[in-house]
Amino acid sequence: MPEIQIRHAIRDAMREEMERDDRVFLVGEEVGYYNGAYKCSEGLLDLFGERRVIDAPIAETGFAGVGIGAAMCGLRPIVEFMTFNFSAVAFDQILNNAAKIHHMTNGQFSVPIVFRGPNAAAHMLGSTHSQAFEPFYAHVPGLIVIAVATAYDAKGLLKSAIRDPNPVVFLESELMYSVKGEVPEEEYLIPIGVADTKRAGDDVTVITWGQGVPVALKAAELAAAEGIECDVIDLRTLRPLDTEAVLESVRRTNRAVVLFHGWPYGGVGGEIIARIQEMAFDHLDAPVLRVCYEDVPMPYAENLEHLVLPTPERGLEAIREVAYRR
Amino acid sequence: MATVVELPRLTDTMEEGVIAKWRVAVGDKVKRGQVIAEIETDKATMEFESFDAGIVLKLIAPEGETMQLGAPIAVLGKAGEDPEAALAKRGGGASAPAAPAPAPAKAAASAPSAVPALAPVAAPAPAPAAPSAPAAPAPSEANSDRIPASPLARRLAREHGLELASIPGSGPHGRVIKADVLAAAQAASASPAAAKAAVQAAGAASEVDENGRPYATFPNRQVKLTPMRKTIARRMTESKREIPHINLTIPIHMDRVSKLRNELNESLNGIKISFNDFLILAVAKALRIHPRVNGAYTPEGLVEYGDVHVGVAVAVDGGLVVPVVRHADQKTIKRISLDTRDLGKRAKDKTLRPEEMSGSTFTVSNLGMFGIEAFTAVVNPGEGAILAVGAISDEVVVEAGQMVIRKVMRCTLCSDHRLFDGADNARFLATLKKLLEAPMTLFA
Amino acid sequence: MTTPTDPTSADPGNFDAYFQSREDTLRWYREMLRIRRFEELAARSYTRGKISGFLHLYIGQEAIAVATKEVLQPADRVVSAYRTHGFALALGSDPRACMAELYGKATGLVAGVGGSMHFFDRAHQLWGGYAIVGNHSPVAAGHAFASKYLKDGGVTLCFLGDGALAIGPTHEGWTLAGLWKLPIVYVVENNRYSMGTPLSRSVPVDDITLKAPGYGMISDRFRVTSVAETAERLGAIVKRAREESKPALVELITYRFRGHSMSDPGKYRGKEEVEEWRRWDPLERTYRALHEHHGLSEDELEALDAEVVDEMEAAVEFAEESPVPEPEARFRNITIES
Repeated sequence: MPEIQIRHAIRDAMREEMERDDRVFLVGEEVGYYNGAYKCSEGLLDLFGERRVIDAPIAETGFAGVGIGAAMCGLRPIVEFMTFNFSAVAFDQILNNAAKIHHMTNGQFSVPIVFRGPNAAAHMLGSTHSQAFEPFYAHVPGLIVIAVATAYDAKGLLKSAIRDPNPVVFLESELMYSVKGEVPEEEYLIPIGVADTKRAGDDVTVITWGQGVPVALKAAELAAAEGIECDVIDLRTLRPLDTEAVLESVRRTNRAVVLFHGWPYGGVGGEIIARIQEMAFDHLDAPVLRVCYEDVPMPYAENLEHLVLPTPERGLEAIREVAYRR
Repeated sequence: MATVVELPRLTDTMEEGVIAKWRVAVGDKVKRGQVIAEIETDKATMEFESFDAGIVLKLIAPEGETMQLGAPIAVLGKAGEDPEAALAKRGGGASAPAAPAPAPAKAAASAPSAVPALAPVAAPAPAPAAPSAPAAPAPSEANSDRIPASPLARRLAREHGLELASIPGSGPHGRVIKADVLAAAQAASASPAAAKAAVQAAGAASEVDENGRPYATFPNRQVKLTPMRKTIARRMTESKREIPHINLTIPIHMDRVSKLRNELNESLNGIKISFNDFLILAVAKALRIHPRVNGAYTPEGLVEYGDVHVGVAVAVDGGLVVPVVRHADQKTIKRISLDTRDLGKRAKDKTLRPEEMSGSTFTVSNLGMFGIEAFTAVVNPGEGAILAVGAISDEVVVEAGQMVIRKVMRCTLCSDHRLFDGADNARFLATLKKLLEAPMTLFA
Repeated sequence: MTTPTDPTSADPGNFDAYFQSREDTLRWYREMLRIRRFEELAARSYTRGKISGFLHLYIGQEAIAVATKEVLQPADRVVSAYRTHGFALALGSDPRACMAELYGKATGLVAGVGGSMHFFDRAHQLWGGYAIVGNHSPVAAGHAFASKYLKDGGVTLCFLGDGALAIGPTHEGWTLAGLWKLPIVYVVENNRYSMGTPLSRSVPVDDITLKAPGYGMISDRFRVTSVAETAERLGAIVKRAREESKPALVELITYRFRGHSMSDPGKYRGKEEVEEWRRWDPLERTYRALHEHHGLSEDELEALDAEVVDEMEAAVEFAEESPVPEPEARFRNITIES
């Protein structure tokens, strides 16, 4: 299988879906002539022209809303946020329009749209550009939320997201765009809502997604050197959540760590832990821990940023703690 | 630098203890000499006065949990200081429950950036000074009725028919975890008690009454040993294993003591002298006459104690304690009476100080109030003998060919045969009998 | 020389050219009356505790909705804010379903999940029903984008109040509509008040169409005094938007006779002001045209009114007798199983 970068997996997914379906179009800042701020749409303007690869001015509310309005008419927009930090100014469009219209119209309208872009901290971008948005979006009934960590998942899930009849928030990672992975040449789709075990083990369940996945895998590697074998579950979809995959693993290992990029307070990590205690309480041998951002705005200084971010070492400490190997 | 407060040794025999109650909470300011906790020792529940001053940064020992001497129980320091740093520097785990379970990794000092066990997130805890940061939570297992155990351990214990209380926990705060239950289950299946229980359980179904109805069966109840119970068990076992006991019983007529006691109680306003007070005084005088009985056997030789300190066994809730009437041979009957009354009351309140419960050279154990005629007792290690005292009852005795009614009390001297032979003991008992049957001699 | 529709005119006049057709005038009168009677009965039900939540009445502005219906073609879309009853009724929604929606009944326009502020009726070209001020402006632009993308010939009419002029999304929608040359007409229904705040305290200029050139939009501005003139002038703009694929901004000067919502007593404006505006009330003017110009007797007009009232009372009865949504209904239409 050829190895390609995640950014190219994303581009290939969009290209294939645009070739397949004329209703699919891409709109966002710098997606056309600039070929994408992170080159995820490289070459698409040449292939599809200005009708379908549309450079938008800096107006996230505007082009997110246009995407929603177009989706209601049967088009299949892909809205690229240069970073999900900028989705904050379009939050009302996603929260009150994309997520609610199908419900509020008693099913008269649907909003088949994909909002995609890089999420969470990259490197030294300061507090306004380093935020993880999954808790905001996963909180909202009516949205699908996906976070990918490999080229294979990125392509297969983005194609599914574009075909999905629901509004999908599709979270990528700036730091991981150039990470390479095997992607088959033939077409494939990955179903939404299905987690993937990225590493198998019976001692500790590590639940993760998106940018947390490589950190969790490294932590699992460190733990394995100490004789602790981790089951690393990449959720891939955060809403709907593959609860059964989490529970199956936790019932086996009796202990879990949730490792993710994002703040601890009121987040997806907390939701996962709530479900574990609710549905696997009698299988727990240790409190479930979170390894995530510290509860502070992201500082710019490199040393401070490093302290705030989840690291393999912090992951290992938590793994040891739930395994009672401290 | 924050100070780690360790479980103090509050009695000479204390090897472990329980925080019965914390008198301070995290965030409280503590002065030197301030009572910060009530600690249940092998002898009593005692107030623990802090040796250090500072803000309570962390309470490590949950209430009700048995801790080993020297185990960290709390951390004091300046506001905003990280208690974990002090603990990490000190080395060892954040908690050291007394459970004998193997915890090989626990002692190894972990990295200085050890994640606080109680932090809600495996990230460095927020500075306690931050106004929005909630105060570090007290251990959730702090409730003394609650046995800390993981949900899985609870379920497994239930499935194996094991009492959680009987399983030592190796997790943080003594939490019983899966591994502990499985180890206990394995041990139980190998032990005769378990075998018996299994047989009982197996047989239970076939046990029916004459109407074919099965008898109701009830589960065994296991109660966690208190420190006092453990101490008693250890010391009594030690005594019975080490000391070859010899027991001799003598009847003593208490008619004259009874008469004298009545007279004294009439003249001493408000003070009630008991038979036991007379007994203590008589024992003390007899011990002066027979100094070897006021001694002990040691491999290096026999010890005769210079002072006469009579221990008085007092039954209390959950066991017994032995407060000491010091220098009993030199005290008046009135003083002895006041002492025993005060010691007995405070023994029941568990407010005796350790020095009031140590240093006895001989012990009197009286079960007369329960109507026990005579019994044998177990010598306290460190002493040579113990006097087991029965009830005083009217008996028909023959004196000079005549049947008369006397108040008879039977005393059994139980002693270390390595120290004495029967004749030695008999002589001590004879002196005691003489003193009590002519009680005015006690005041000579 | 000013005409009654000139915003500066002081004279509402009597029977201008727009009332010449007896048949049309009668039809428009009836449509406006349907809206007014529907809302009066809704207000009555509200005061009886049968309807809760927010109820924003359109009374005084009915001519706009009726005129909109006049200019609409099948591929067109109407997007409005939260004062939507008038559009639904004018566009053809069943008044029984509309009233049942206000009652929160299963038979409502959107099965009782939306309420007054969230009317959608796709079959009758009503695409909302948006209750967050201004956030439908880009969505409506998206409809126009789709029309252009799919070349379906449709124009989107996006209605907003003068209260939506300060908020950002309004302008982002206008910007993209202008930038991408979308077939959309933004219609500002300037009823002089943003809730209780008069225009002078919420918009920096009196003439809202001054904004149009900055967004590359053509514009028109007039007072609503009749369905006919409103339809004619609005129709001209819609035609240009359709033929030239160009956005437009229309300011309609109008007046609501009721408060902002049922809970608003409207104390911020004087009785005299309301009375003055009643002279311009298109419904009132149309009544007079029918009575004085076309010779319909008061009895005839009364009979017509009674017919309309009967229709709307039937809607109330229908709403009251309709079942509430079944409990399972709350789980419907959240996401679509793919």
